[in-house]
Amino acid sequence: MPRIEVDGITIEVGGDGFLSDPDIWDEDIARLIAKYDGIEEMNEKHWAIVNIIRDNYEKKGMAPMIRVICKETGLKLREIYQLFPLGPARGACRVAGLPKPDGCV
Amino acid sequence: MEKITKDKIKAGLEVLKDLQDSKLISHLNSCVHCGLCADSCLYYLTTGDERLIPASKVDMVSSIYRRYCTLTGKVFPGLVGARKLDDANISEMVDLLYGACTMCGRCVGHCSIGVDIEYVIRAGREMLAKMGYVPASLQATVDAALESGNNMAIADEDFLDTIEWMEEELQDELNDPAASIPINQPGKNVLYTLNPREPKFFPLSIVAMAKIFYAAKETWTLSANMYDVTNYAYFSGHPKHSRIIAQRMFDEMQKMQAKKLVLAECGHGSRASRWEGPNYIGKEFPETLNSVELIAGYIKSGRIKPDKELTQEIVTLHDPCNLVRSGGIVDEQRYILKNTVKNFVEMTPCGVDNFCCGGGGGQLAMSEYNDRRIKIAEIKAEQIKKTGAGIVATPCHNCVDQLSQINVAYRLNVQIKTMAEIVADALIIGYP
Repeated sequence: MPRIEVDGITIEVGGDGFLSDPDIWDEDIARLIAKYDGIEEMNEKHWAIVNIIRDNYEKKGMAPMIRVICKETGLKLREIYQLFPLGPARGACRVAGLPKPDGCV
Repeated sequence: MEKITKDKIKAGLEVLKDLQDSKLISHLNSCVHCGLCADSCLYYLTTGDERLIPASKVDMVSSIYRRYCTLTGKVFPGLVGARKLDDANISEMVDLLYGACTMCGRCVGHCSIGVDIEYVIRAGREMLAKMGYVPASLQATVDAALESGNNMAIADEDFLDTIEWMEEELQDELNDPAASIPINQPGKNVLYTLNPREPKFFPLSIVAMAKIFYAAKETWTLSANMYDVTNYAYFSGHPKHSRIIAQRMFDEMQKMQAKKLVLAECGHGSRASRWEGPNYIGKEFPETLNSVELIAGYIKSGRIKPDKELTQEIVTLHDPCNLVRSGGIVDEQRYILKNTVKNFVEMTPCGVDNFCCGGGGGQLAMSEYNDRRIKIAEIKAEQIKKTGAGIVATPCHNCVDQLSQINVAYRLNVQIKTMAEIVADALIIGYP
């Protein structure tokens, strides 16, 4: 099982770096994955995005549309791409502990 | 992995025993093991692993053909290197054909005798699909499309809400409250399609294309019912699934009574609708073109006029394999760039001999082989670095995603854009 290691802590992930078990997710894990991606500190905006994604996943079993993320957080579309340089799927959804979304992402 | 059964073997062998496919049989029997394909393949070049040479992948399929379809293979399998369909060989086959091939077809052009290696790989995948061995993550993307109508399972109301939102963006950008993104309007000149990743996560490319349509004064529409340009069953290999998806696109075209079907910037989607589609459904598609052909036509005929001075940065071009090497759409995107940006620089090699981004063949969807996918992209990363470009343009959303990942993994520090985005950024609205 592949792992990612940050600050001496190891998390088990799938081949694509998404959490193997989305249920073990917590805020510490989110911080670790974010740090692994080069986001040294999660700010309020990062958390707002991650919490919306997590909430949507727990209710509907999938990642929300970028539309929903913008609407709920009040953030501009381009700001989201800047906050998560790997994009909404491989960046934000991964930090939020979701499985990899299907399709060309 | 599920164990092999007699029924599964029978289902898999149907592909090899199809007497109508004389092309497959001749290409299975033609490899002379010269090894020239090795140096054309990303997997071999970046790993040096001889298992991953294209000829080895062909032999994986042809050895099974020899075992079950030739007399010597049935009687003396050891003599002719015939292999049977057992669990070990199937696991090897899955690893080689799904996990170690982007179906980029570069080896085909380098083959000394013209074996259509990609065709053989696709047939091998078809066997595995019929036996039920498609990697789970790839099958999930196909299932999402079959069940929901698009490969990211976007609900109708979410789609409509997103398009409405992007229409507002378009109106703001153009400062024209009448600018629109039309949906479900029959009888237009163009029925336009999307890659579901656009409405789901990256909707600005929809605005870019809408801006081009606006500038060209085109009459066009999207369909909320069927807008998905992709057909992941082309990668998974199950003919029934690829047929269902191609048929949907054909039916929608009939329903919307548009003059032209315009395929979004998607390599395999263009291939699966335009070139493979008629074979899947046994009917010819109506006039179908890729959006780069449409945009190049707008520029040639003077319907739109990009301002080259607006993009001074060096721009290079990545060639999506299915569109360029397989589809022969080579010049249109170059014509667009030469007329849209100030500094266009080709990478080496380019055009039909360009390397795959590493994300083709369904690799992007298959989590199982993620590390390999990033590893083989070393070559693309080097190609991009050598151009000194600040922007990489490519007419394929799948390539865009892979390039965006290697941009981070190999610290390229470039911007990745679709052709529509490059053109939209350079448009002078109100011309002529």
